[in-house]
Amino acid sequence: MSKNKIAITLGIVCMILTIAIVIQINTIKGTNETVSQTLAEDELRDEVLRMKERYDNAYSSLENAEKELAQVREQATQNDDSSAEKEAEIKLNNNLLGLTDLEGQGVEITLQDDPNATVDSISVLDQISNHLVHDSDIRMIVNELKNAGAEAISINGQRVVSTTSIICIGNVIKVNDSRVSSPFVIKAIGFPERLMTALDRPGGFLEELNSYGIVTSIKKSNKVEIPKYSGVISAKYMRTQN
Amino acid sequence: MMLFIAILIGCIVGALIGVNIPMIPYTYSGYLAIAIIAALDSVFGAISSSLQKKFDMKIFISGFFVNAILAMALTYLGQKLNVDIHLAAVVVFVGRMFNNLGTIRRYYVEKITDRKIIAKAEATIKESKKQ
Repeated sequence: MSKNKIAITLGIVCMILTIAIVIQINTIKGTNETVSQTLAEDELRDEVLRMKERYDNAYSSLENAEKELAQVREQATQNDDSSAEKEAEIKLNNNLLGLTDLEGQGVEITLQDDPNATVDSISVLDQISNHLVHDSDIRMIVNELKNAGAEAISINGQRVVSTTSIICIGNVIKVNDSRVSSPFVIKAIGFPERLMTALDRPGGFLEELNSYGIVTSIKKSNKVEIPKYSGVISAKYMRTQN
Repeated sequence: MMLFIAILIGCIVGALIGVNIPMIPYTYSGYLAIAIIAALDSVFGAISSSLQKKFDMKIFISGFFVNAILAMALTYLGQKLNVDIHLAAVVVFVGRMFNNLGTIRRYYVEKITDRKIIAKAEATIKESKKQ
């Protein structure tokens, strides 16, 4: 092996090596932006967590204040019949408005997207969308429940109040400005047998959903717990008619 | 000396070509990086073995490719297993690089010391001849 040959081979190898190094440096330089992007993303995530903590703190202090207010009101109306009546009315109105946690007899409905449906498993004539729970399905069930005399309804912990909307946003459903997704747990307080029959009857809505592969279950319960509405009820434009 | 001139020329030409080549997708940059380390190790190995007059072209070329491919395969496996196996390859290659660098360094240090000793001896011989 002559020395020249060795030198030429090493020279060629070094050339390949430098080409690779320069390409690598260029590539990394081009992706520096992505790195800083993820850094910014992390910071944003931190910020969101901090904000959420502050929100939770504020929310819990609001809850305490409300409890205190209720106590004070009760004490103030203890010895006066007419104001005790008013107090009872306020309580009832708050319950109806969705401002209090409720419990009572009712039903619990669970809806879950078809677990066996994938893009490959369904036939050509079918659509994956048929195997998912949609906002319209939720609206239908809420409507049926109300029709059957439900007094209070919640969807995945979101109380249904007079201003509640149930809207599809992408792959989740928006209820009361918060996102809920499968599995959906719909709770309703009312006469359990009626609520049950409204949905569970042969040819009823749950059976229809079942036929698409959506997993549904409904059960009666003596103690359904429904949380209060966590949003703000706006009354900016409405006025009492006179 | 010839060796280092060739390496230098190779590096300059490579840098000139490399600047004009488009970059590769970021996903593969991990593989390229490990291949660069493997190639760098091969180059150091080649220099040290050629200084020791043990250089074999077949061993060099096969080592160059097999090392690089094995390192890339390890990186791929590591990504699949979510273990940073490529770190092991980096450690091994860099360790070998330092070993080879030590051999090269020792070779030149010894050469210079030898020269000095020879020069000293020659000077002593000359002086003794004058006397």
